[in-house]
Amino acid sequence: MAEATSDIREGQQPDRTASSPIVVISELDKQFGKLRAVNHLSMTINAGETFGLIGPNGSGKTTLIRMMVGLMRPTAGTIRIMGERVPSTRIAPHIGYMTQLSALYLDLTARENMQFFCNIYGLRGKQQKQRIDEMLERVDLADRANDIASKFSGGMKQRLSLATALVHHPSLALLDEPTVGVDPELRRTFWDYFAQMNREGITIIVSTHHLDEAARCTRLGLMRSGMLLAQDAPQELLRQSGKDSMENAFLYFATRQQEMSKEIHS
Amino acid sequence: MSLARTLALATRIIRQILRDKRTLGLIFIVPLLIMTLLYLVLTNTSSVHTLAIVRPTGPGSDTINTLITDLLPGKDKLNTISIPANQVTTTLQNGNADAAIIFPPDFARQVLAGQNPVVQIELEGSDPAIASAMRDLTASFTRQLGLALSTLKAQQNQGGQAPITPATLAGPIPFTINEPHYLHGGPQYTFNDSIAPVFIGVFSFFFVFILTSVAFLRERSQGTIERVMVSPLTRPELVLGYICGFTLFALVQSVLILIFVVFVLQVHYSGNLALVFLVTALLTIGSVNLGIFLSTFAQNEFQIVQFIPLVFGVQVFLSGIFWPIAQLPGVLRPISYILPLTYANEALRDVMLKSADIGQIAGQLAGLLIFALVMVLLSSLTMRRQSA
Repeated sequence: MAEATSDIREGQQPDRTASSPIVVISELDKQFGKLRAVNHLSMTINAGETFGLIGPNGSGKTTLIRMMVGLMRPTAGTIRIMGERVPSTRIAPHIGYMTQLSALYLDLTARENMQFFCNIYGLRGKQQKQRIDEMLERVDLADRANDIASKFSGGMKQRLSLATALVHHPSLALLDEPTVGVDPELRRTFWDYFAQMNREGITIIVSTHHLDEAARCTRLGLMRSGMLLAQDAPQELLRQSGKDSMENAFLYFATRQQEMSKEIHS
Repeated sequence: MSLARTLALATRIIRQILRDKRTLGLIFIVPLLIMTLLYLVLTNTSSVHTLAIVRPTGPGSDTINTLITDLLPGKDKLNTISIPANQVTTTLQNGNADAAIIFPPDFARQVLAGQNPVVQIELEGSDPAIASAMRDLTASFTRQLGLALSTLKAQQNQGGQAPITPATLAGPIPFTINEPHYLHGGPQYTFNDSIAPVFIGVFSFFFVFILTSVAFLRERSQGTIERVMVSPLTRPELVLGYICGFTLFALVQSVLILIFVVFVLQVHYSGNLALVFLVTALLTIGSVNLGIFLSTFAQNEFQIVQFIPLVFGVQVFLSGIFWPIAQLPGVLRPISYILPLTYANEALRDVMLKSADIGQIAGQLAGLLIFALVMVLLSSLTMRRQSA
């Protein structure tokens, strides 16, 4: 309960941008045995933005996202989405979740996969058909709608997976490394989808370890060893670090964090 | 709890199974093949066996002896010899006959007087297959003889004038057939009297377990379970969706097995289909949840296969499919009573062979219900663990 009060204080802090926060994470910890996967992390994600979680493998991005969607419980700290403390069944209908794995029923067709997810999100009838057609068109799979998913290439599976994650028109889409193992051309297409989703009012939280993708996010959270190094707009992070590339900026913030923790320890 | 979401899941499972032709074959064709094989092995029609008959000798026995000779299967199917009563044991012992039917000397008089004489069947018993075949054969022969005698009696009572009507045919068999006596060994279940009914339970339990555990394993390894858990679908809906989807196939399968057993293998059946369904449905609920539960301890399909000896090996031997539980060593009997198939087998035999009503199998239904509830509990515990 003590954490809940601090959560409210955190949420009330005026944010740099004018838009309202959709996700407020406050002093979050996740401990796996001796490993601290997420370390005292606080961040705010604003409605309508594309928030990029940037960091190397093992920096805690997936753990953070899994806690946000309610698949894992934090060791300490709180997550609030749309004002509801996670886990909450009330926000479930408004959340879209895409995993690293293209989570599909491989023995069903593209359309049947979409139908299943529509049905469990309560999207039915004519509206369902319309939305499925629209999403398949958007990920360029309209002509393969009735093919079995197991026959799809890796990229096609990834596209279908994205379409199923967004078929119920969520307010918040959490995409965990959607561009891992995806060729550069498709990666660019994916980022075009994300931009379009933003325009439709969908807030996106996307994790990646491709630093070149950072520029396409509204704001970034730089993560390393379960800690948040910095969170701000890409240009702002470049300016603060005085570096010309995101790679160098990331290294700058990482070094600064290490020096800070050394100071604390000594 | 949303019915629509549960149905969405059940529909998806049904679609997945319908798409997989190999799985459909596993559910619907394999049981029939196995039953046919068992039928052929256990009824052992390949060789001609010998039946010894101790014929009635008292007054009025001629009619009955003619009837016996007429009703016995032909020489191509069965050898028959007539022996005196004091040679039954030696004849069986020497291997001159595989079974004997013993009629009391004044059988005819007792039948006419309505004194309900006792007919005893002796089985040699050292070869279970022959013993089982002879048991079926003598049972069907005595049943026919009983019907013929009651018809004959009815005709005589009406002065031989009235035509034979179904009402006169339905009269009780005018003699008692004692439980067969075994010279060696003991009663094994025979195909016709006991094995056919239990296979409805055995097959539905087996295939539903395999299919659920593999389906659930795939949900985990393909990552779809996480998507489902993030969605508004709740865990009870998830479990219920699985139960609905698989129960449908289990019920269709039991109808198919029933039709096959009754019409193709010509097994006597006189039960209430609704009760057969009830037993199958309860068993399936247990089986689906056992599948979900055990699938959390498997990393791949091969590890599911490794569970089969544990789940089925034990049940095949200890649930009374082939050997009555009463014949098992005392240390094993308590194990039998924690196995779901023990209850399903007893219930299905009682319903299909003895036309038991719901009250008579209440105990077995309770056993199945308890098993189902324990499995539901276990499966929901493992699902909570996954999301921890």
